[in-house]
Amino acid sequence: MAEERRGAWFGFGFCGFGQALGSGRGRQVHSPEPLRAPGAGLDVCRVSASWSYTAFVTRGGGQVELSGFTVGAAGGCRDAWASEELLVVLRTGPGPGAGTELQAWAPGSALRGEPLWAQTVPEAEREDGPGGDETQAGPLPLLPCARAYVSPRPPFYRPLAPTLRARRLELGAEHALLLDAAGQVFSWGGGRHGQLGHGTLEAEPEPRLLQALQGLTMAEVAAGGWHSLCVSEAGDIYIWGWNESGQLALPTKSLAEDGKTTAEASGLNEDGSEVKRVAGGEDGAPAPFIAVQPFPALLDLPLGSDAVKASCGSRHTAVVTRTGELYTWGWAVARKASGYSKDSSTEKTGPLASQTHLYPHGEEVLLQDCEEVCFHDF
Amino acid sequence: MAGPDALWEALWALLPRTKEELKLELGEKVEGSVVMLLQEAAELFYGDKRQECLQTCEALLDYSWEKLNTGPWQHVDKDWRRVFSFSCLLKAVCLCAPPGDAASVAAALKACDMGLLMGAAILGDILLKVTAVLQKHLPSGKRPAPDPSQEPLGIKKARNDHVPIPDVTSERTVPRLHCPSLQYFREHFLDPGRPVILEGVADHWPCMRKWSLEYIQEIAGCRTVPVEVGSRYTDEEWSQTLMTVDEFISKYVRNEPKDIGYLAQHQLFDQIPELKQDISIPDYCCLGSGEEEEITINAWFGPQGTISPLHQDPQQNFLAQVGAAQNIGLPPPPGPATRGLAALCTFKH
Repeated sequence: MAEERRGAWFGFGFCGFGQALGSGRGRQVHSPEPLRAPGAGLDVCRVSASWSYTAFVTRGGGQVELSGFTVGAAGGCRDAWASEELLVVLRTGPGPGAGTELQAWAPGSALRGEPLWAQTVPEAEREDGPGGDETQAGPLPLLPCARAYVSPRPPFYRPLAPTLRARRLELGAEHALLLDAAGQVFSWGGGRHGQLGHGTLEAEPEPRLLQALQGLTMAEVAAGGWHSLCVSEAGDIYIWGWNESGQLALPTKSLAEDGKTTAEASGLNEDGSEVKRVAGGEDGAPAPFIAVQPFPALLDLPLGSDAVKASCGSRHTAVVTRTGELYTWGWAVARKASGYSKDSSTEKTGPLASQTHLYPHGEEVLLQDCEEVCFHDF
Repeated sequence: MAGPDALWEALWALLPRTKEELKLELGEKVEGSVVMLLQEAAELFYGDKRQECLQTCEALLDYSWEKLNTGPWQHVDKDWRRVFSFSCLLKAVCLCAPPGDAASVAAALKACDMGLLMGAAILGDILLKVTAVLQKHLPSGKRPAPDPSQEPLGIKKARNDHVPIPDVTSERTVPRLHCPSLQYFREHFLDPGRPVILEGVADHWPCMRKWSLEYIQEIAGCRTVPVEVGSRYTDEEWSQTLMTVDEFISKYVRNEPKDIGYLAQHQLFDQIPELKQDISIPDYCCLGSGEEEEITINAWFGPQGTISPLHQDPQQNFLAQVGAAQNIGLPPPPGPATRGLAALCTFKH
């Protein structure tokens, strides 16, 4: 695997809690601005963002820094996962041979005192073969051993069947998505808004394979509050679940009522030009609104771009393409940053766009190297 | 119409004087970050920073709205609904700051209605009081002028007899009684779980003579209510949406509506207490095993042709009908399915 490049971090969105976003003026940042990361120049390798605070994990010392409603820092961490209910960290014990400990903290504790809950967890199993590191289990909430994951609600530690061979796991407000080693997608949990993708609104107690995606190999999965997304190895996006804020880039009633066109929910035309038209069918009748999409639907990006990474907030979605562009749509994107559907830093400084990752969260977007996109909450 | 300053003063008279007197009293379920943001909103509010307060309220509304939409409604913690109500309250009052205009007052009313529909009671039902003040201050142009050519609901019934009335043989019809005694009702219908039509019980209710489309619009036209769109709630195209009573009547009741819209199973009388004064709770309701507080009053308001598919309610029901006739089918006794069947109380206007 290629060495991780150092990238610049940018952010935008709601920062009413004093999260380290850009200039930090006011409570909202509308376009990506360089991040005022705690300790300028810290080599941040992972960011996990919740609504009111953000956790940064640095290389080297394995420091976790918290910014926003809760402020603090702690060492010896190799991964962190932030949610409003719980802050979860993965800490390596001192010295070789010491196990890895999973700790769940109350966010307000700022990692001081004692965690609410802690447990030693087995290490990841080494896999021989091409791209060894890539087949290892992904970041939290999936544990390194891929035999379990962390939930913000009790029970915190949830086992996964070893037969699942989990590679990545994402949690929505009421559901979970899992990507396995073979590129198959499983979902379970609540399904009232079609977020499970099995074609019904029924809940699923156990991981269930998404039949509609059979035969396709997925490379990424992302879960929003009540919607789900996956990206295939070929760069296609499949999306399903709730669309009440246009988070599926489908026509939505609420945006039409607010005076926004459905075009703003979906971004750009095929040739890349901005679309400003009222939602309408060929006969001039209003296009049908789609509130819920219970099956995966293929989503075409403008310019026929291929997606490589995707991430979801509670009611919005962001995708990064192979050529390093960022597309966002859904709630707050249409309302607060209307018309924003492309990484504006591309226009400012060309080279920067190809070196920036994107880690949006809350309404915050943290950019780094346009290789990964991470939304969380709204 | 009194000026925006009069409205502002009237609203402030309802609110606690200072930030300290605004008691949030939220339990553990509400995260510290939300409590902090709500306190900040209150600070901005009492510090006259209206725009920042509105922005903060929007963030609170969005976050708490998501909590209200997580999991089944019965399991949503009441404190989240209170957070939602507090945010609606501050937002509504901020919107009415002078210089106000009709659009702001309408937006403030909508914010209050959202708090009433989805929130929970706070500060002694302050949202109801604020709503009453707002309604008084709506400019007269906002209200539809009563149309003299419109007839009261009752007379319409005789002219619109196109709905086929099913032919029902006498053994299968529900018995009709005129004002039976409480004991008789309990012995013969409540305890054995048998349906009955009670006549004469609601003759004296004010709604019998007062209710018409114009009256409803005058009292509640600008209020936001939930409407079900689609023929039956088991259909695919069925959906729920919010609109004002004016919009509902003009789109789904008057003017030969294209689609079916139904204001169904909504606790309208809690939201609009002025309408509650036009009805009474029949004495028979007190015979139930539950507490009087457990009695819920729902309203159904719709045009001809609205259908509710066969269903079972967990509670015993009294149905009072104002206006055109309604056909109601009941599955035959005996069996567990018939427990809790409605005792019907229809009457002519």
